[in-house]
Amino acid sequence: MQKKLVSVLALSVAMSAFLAACGSNENNNTASPSPSESASPSPSPSESAPASESTAPEKVENFTVSLRHIQIGDAQKFRKAILDDVVTKTEADVPGLKIELDGVEDSVNRFTKLPAEMAAGNPPKIFDVFGGSGDTQKYAGAGRMLDLTPILDELGLKDKFLSGVLEPFSVDGKVYGLPIGGNTEGIFYNTELFAKYNLNPPTTWDDLIKAADTLKQNGITPFAVGSKGAWVPNMLVNTFIGRIAGEGTNAGFITGASQWNSPDVVAAYQLFADWEKAGYFTKGELGKEYGDMLNDFVAGKAGMMFDGSWRSSAFKNDAVGAEIAGKVAFVNLPAVPNGKGDQSSVNANYGEGYGFSSDLNDNELKAVKAFIKNMYSEEMQLRGLLEDGVLPSMKLTDVSQVTDPIVKQVLDVLNGATASFPHFDSVVQSKVYTETETQLQKLIAGKATAQEVGTAIQKVQDAENAAAAK
Amino acid sequence: MRTTLRNPYVYLLFVVPTIALYFLFFIYPMLTSVFYGFTNWNGLDTKDFIGFDNFVNAFKDEDFRNSIWNNLYILLFSCCVQVPLIIVFSLLISSVKRFQGFYKTTVFMPSILSTSVIGILWGYIYDPDVGLINNILKTFGLDPIYFLADTKWALLSILITNAWQWMGFYIVLILAAILGIPKDIDEAAMIDGATGVQRAWYLTVPLIKPIINVVIMLSIAGALRVVDIVLVMTEGGPAGATDVMASYMVNKAIKYGDYGYGTALSIIIFIFALVLTALYQTLVVRRQEKVEY
Repeated sequence: MQKKLVSVLALSVAMSAFLAACGSNENNNTASPSPSESASPSPSPSESAPASESTAPEKVENFTVSLRHIQIGDAQKFRKAILDDVVTKTEADVPGLKIELDGVEDSVNRFTKLPAEMAAGNPPKIFDVFGGSGDTQKYAGAGRMLDLTPILDELGLKDKFLSGVLEPFSVDGKVYGLPIGGNTEGIFYNTELFAKYNLNPPTTWDDLIKAADTLKQNGITPFAVGSKGAWVPNMLVNTFIGRIAGEGTNAGFITGASQWNSPDVVAAYQLFADWEKAGYFTKGELGKEYGDMLNDFVAGKAGMMFDGSWRSSAFKNDAVGAEIAGKVAFVNLPAVPNGKGDQSSVNANYGEGYGFSSDLNDNELKAVKAFIKNMYSEEMQLRGLLEDGVLPSMKLTDVSQVTDPIVKQVLDVLNGATASFPHFDSVVQSKVYTETETQLQKLIAGKATAQEVGTAIQKVQDAENAAAAK
Repeated sequence: MRTTLRNPYVYLLFVVPTIALYFLFFIYPMLTSVFYGFTNWNGLDTKDFIGFDNFVNAFKDEDFRNSIWNNLYILLFSCCVQVPLIIVFSLLISSVKRFQGFYKTTVFMPSILSTSVIGILWGYIYDPDVGLINNILKTFGLDPIYFLADTKWALLSILITNAWQWMGFYIVLILAAILGIPKDIDEAAMIDGATGVQRAWYLTVPLIKPIINVVIMLSIAGALRVVDIVLVMTEGGPAGATDVMASYMVNKAIKYGDYGYGTALSIIIFIFALVLTALYQTLVVRRQEKVEY
């Protein structure tokens, strides 16, 4: 009897042990026996790599490093090519290294995937990240991101970056991320359509309004926009705020120096609401994605679109917008009548770049260093500018090779600017930014007035500022 | 062996792994989420205990109240529009003589498709430029309707899609009950001169009441937990017009990283569903006598 009981017991113990074994297969085959690995058994992709017995004579340890990027889709193919080259180079530099690329759509990565991984403590080793208090500074404060200051010193990179571009990626003077490039947001317009209707380029406010009205009368949408993701129309709102309320406004929201419900900011929202009412934007925009905006513009359904300068590479001969290649021009938003800000100021963002997990072993750290060395070089920065129209975040000695007409126009816009202001999404806290998206969609749907929008956002801003002051 | 199995502890041993898993994946997360509901955790930093603030804020939050109303619309739609339609279709299918199997399969088909597939499929049907419905409207010279981008249409569009997906499942349930009624009752009524409508209304419907109750219960539960179709089709937009409690919770917690608040919302949803189903159980189902043939 006892015997049978014991055997049943043994069997069930064996079964549960077997089942339990199915669940944990990590730590057996990690590449290097670093202490940080055993301390945190987080199932990151790099750790489940096959520990193939090294075949190299000097016993090179094979290991993998995960890399999250957002260069997916046809419109990003130039940037992806640069990334691929950097990856190949880095793999050649570090023996045994294999970089596993993981491509995720921008907003999914920024707002869903990365935050969840940060919360769980298992972000990829190298990842695409945005600067500002909602992203890098939040993660760095929680100890999730690698302090790059010593690496920058070691590689002698610190002074190579443009002044101020590392700010959004820094906490207490320590750098946690590196901007890959910059952009400005302005108006792309279809020169063919403008010529067809005898319109002047939208370089003055009157010309802009006249162009919009004329296009509208001819059944062409003045501005293509896809507002399903509210960050798209937020670009225009951001520039309106910079122009109407002044270029220091965006930076002042978190200090309390400027208020969302102040008359100037509300006036910016009101201008947007007026354009909405005048029918300047795509019909049914709340159901349209960001990609639809480009499609409408390329198909000639819309005469203009307000978008980031990164879109310029879409109008090359071999890109998604090839249909209207050579028929697109880029201008800064013209001076707004009665605007308080510097009317030749531009919005300039150096908000996006790469960050690195703080949970690295020695090998992975080597890989990260090699990646930084290869990615943040003058060569790659220049390639980004020439091939992809991304403005360099580092000082370049020679930009005379730029031939792309739109990129030239973008550079002209930046050179002609007397001041610049950041996008508020790289300034304000994430809860506030979320509220701007929610409220803007309400404004578009006609469910809220400009004043209500300003008041609602300021309420969240006040709460966040109070929480930050604690 | 026989005596081993008489030992009650042996049985306990058999369920231990299951209980352990149940505890690990259900009880423990539930307890921790109750705790998180009372904190301002953002998924990263420290968790501060903030008492009932999250719950108070939830009911002050206009957008969340709006999403509760949307859930109630869905509930009303499923109970007052969908269920009667389901009964009518079941009665019709039950009385066809030929191709009954074909009809059964056809109506059941949508419910075996994945919600993502259905969401995208209907997204195309509703599309303002290339969609089926708008193309038909265009041939009559009408302006396109922005079904999923217009705050007036979006919720209704989702409701229709959702009904299309799930009606077949309920129809098959009710059909089984109707076909289970002995034929002689129906024949007796026919000999007495009752018309088809009379037989359906006075005989069949009362006899399948228990299963109708089940369908209503399932509809209520379904209406309260509907979220997948919303996330696939509109993500709660335009401007929150199709936000239901669960999609609002998902957006707050996962998309915007407000885990404390999101967990509090999920607790509210849980209580809401519990109370409504309990109410229906005690008020309606318990009062009915059992049907005997």
